[in-house]
Amino acid sequence: MIKVQNLIKTFDEKTVLNDISFEVNDGETLAIVGFSGSGKSTILKIICGLLEEDSGTILTSEGDIAMVFQYSALFDSLNVHDNIIFALRERKELRKLYTEEDLDKIVEEKLKLVGLEGVEDKYPSELSGGMQKRVSFARAIVTNPKTILYDEPTAGLDPISSTLIEDYIVRLKEETHAASIVVTHQMSTIQRTADKVLMLYNGKCVFQGSPQEMCEQGNEYTKQFVTASLTGPMKMLTE
Amino acid sequence: MEQIRAYLKKSATYQLIQILEDGLEDFLTTFGEITIRGLSALKYILTFKINWKEVLEQSARFGVSSLPITISIVSMTSIIVAMQVAGEMVKQGGGNYVGLLVAMLTVRETGIIMSGFAIISMIGSSLASEIATMRVTEQIDAITVLGVDPVRYLFVPRIIAGTLMMPPVMIIASTCGILGGGVASTLVSELSYKAYFSSVWSGLFIYDIKVAIAKAFTYGFTIALISCTCGYIAKGGAKGVGIATTKAVVWSFVAIVFLDLVFSIAFFF
Repeated sequence: MIKVQNLIKTFDEKTVLNDISFEVNDGETLAIVGFSGSGKSTILKIICGLLEEDSGTILTSEGDIAMVFQYSALFDSLNVHDNIIFALRERKELRKLYTEEDLDKIVEEKLKLVGLEGVEDKYPSELSGGMQKRVSFARAIVTNPKTILYDEPTAGLDPISSTLIEDYIVRLKEETHAASIVVTHQMSTIQRTADKVLMLYNGKCVFQGSPQEMCEQGNEYTKQFVTASLTGPMKMLTE
Repeated sequence: MEQIRAYLKKSATYQLIQILEDGLEDFLTTFGEITIRGLSALKYILTFKINWKEVLEQSARFGVSSLPITISIVSMTSIIVAMQVAGEMVKQGGGNYVGLLVAMLTVRETGIIMSGFAIISMIGSSLASEIATMRVTEQIDAITVLGVDPVRYLFVPRIIAGTLMMPPVMIIASTCGILGGGVASTLVSELSYKAYFSSVWSGLFIYDIKVAIAKAFTYGFTIALISCTCGYIAKGGAKGVGIATTKAVVWSFVAIVFLDLVFSIAFFF
C-alpha cells in the first residue's frame, strides 16, 4: 500500500508538487501522467527516499521499495548476473541468507520471469534498450518489494518492446502483489497496466480516476491529454 | 526603484560581487561535501565494513596502471634537476653533493608531489568522471534505492586503495628518480657513479623517508576522497561530468600543494 497525503515539494521557490494526495492498494497500479516537468518523477523520488518532501505524509507497506529507472540505470561495470543480485550481495542483512548457488538460482528465476534466459554473463552495453529495461525489472524485484515504482518504463522503446514491457508490469503486479506506480506519457501503458490514473498540471492534481473515466469523462485536462490537442486548459510551460 | 535595481545589476561591480559570491558558495558547498563524505567513509573504514575484493580491484588501478606514468614523471623531474646542477656543481668543486641534492629533493618533495600530480591526472580524473557518469545516469540513485550506501560501495574501496597504494608507487617512482638522476649526472658531467651514489646515501635520512611515507598516505587518501566526492556531487549530463572531472583535478592539485606546505612547516621547521 502507498498512501500519500498533502504532499508539497518546492525547488528554488517553484512549487513542483502542491498538496498532492492519493492511495494505491496492494496489487493495484496507479499511472501518473502530465507534462514533462510537472513533478511526476519527483513523486517517485520522494516515495523511494531519494528526495525529501517539504511537507505531507507518505506511508508505504513494510518492506523494500523498488524503482525501475527511466534509462534502466544498470551498473555498467557489472554483468547482468551481478546487477540482479547487487542488493543481495551488498546488503549485510541479506548477504548472510544466500549461498552462491542460491544467488545463481535467483538470477535464473528472475531472468526467466522477464523472459531473458541466458544473458547472465553479458554486460549492459551488450544489451538492447528493451533488454536493459527487463534486466532492471529483474533487479528491482530481487528483494521481493512491496512497492514498485516505474519511471517512464516505455520511454525510448519501439511499440512492440513497449507492449512487452507493459505485459511484464502486469505480470510483476500479479506475481508480487505489490502496490505499483507507473509514471508515463503513453496512453497504451495507461490502458494496459493501470487501475487508476492521476493527472498533474502545474504541481496540482487535475484528475484522479480510472483509465476508462479518463477517456470518457468530460474533464478538460484529460480530454486535451488523450487527444494530444494544443488547445485546452494546459499550456506548455514555456508559453 | 526598479530601474535603479536593474541599473545596479548591469554594473561591473555587481557582477564581480555576484561571481565572488557564486565562487564562495561553490567552494563552501564542495568543502562541506568532501568533509561529510570523508567522515562517513572513515566510519565504515574504522568499523571494517569493507569490500576487500573491490579494494583489490581499485588497488590494481591505483598502483599498477598508474606506475609507468608516475615513474616517468618523477624520473624526468630528477633527471632535469641532475642535468641542471651536476655540470655546474662539479665545476665548482661540489660534485660530491650532486647525489645528496637529487636524493634529498626527490625524497622530500619532487618524488611525492610529482607522484601525486601523476595520480591526480591519471586516476583522480578517471575516478571523478566514472562516479559523475554514474550520478548522471542514475546509477547512484539505483544503488541508494537498492538499500546500499553509495559511500560504502563507491568511496570506501577507492579511498583505501588510494591510501595504501600511494606509498609504494611513490617509493618505486622516487627510487627510479634517484637512479635516473645518477645516469643524467654522469652523462652531463665528469661525475662517476660511485661518487654520485655515495653522496646519495649521505642525503637519505630515515626521518625524511618516514615523512615522505606519511605524506603519501595522506595524499592518496585526499586524492581519492576529493575525486570521488566531485564525481558524486555532479549535476546535469555530459557537461556536468566534465565540470566534475575538472573540479576534482583542480581541487586535488590545490589540496596536495596546500598539504605539502603544511607538512613542510610541521616537519622541517
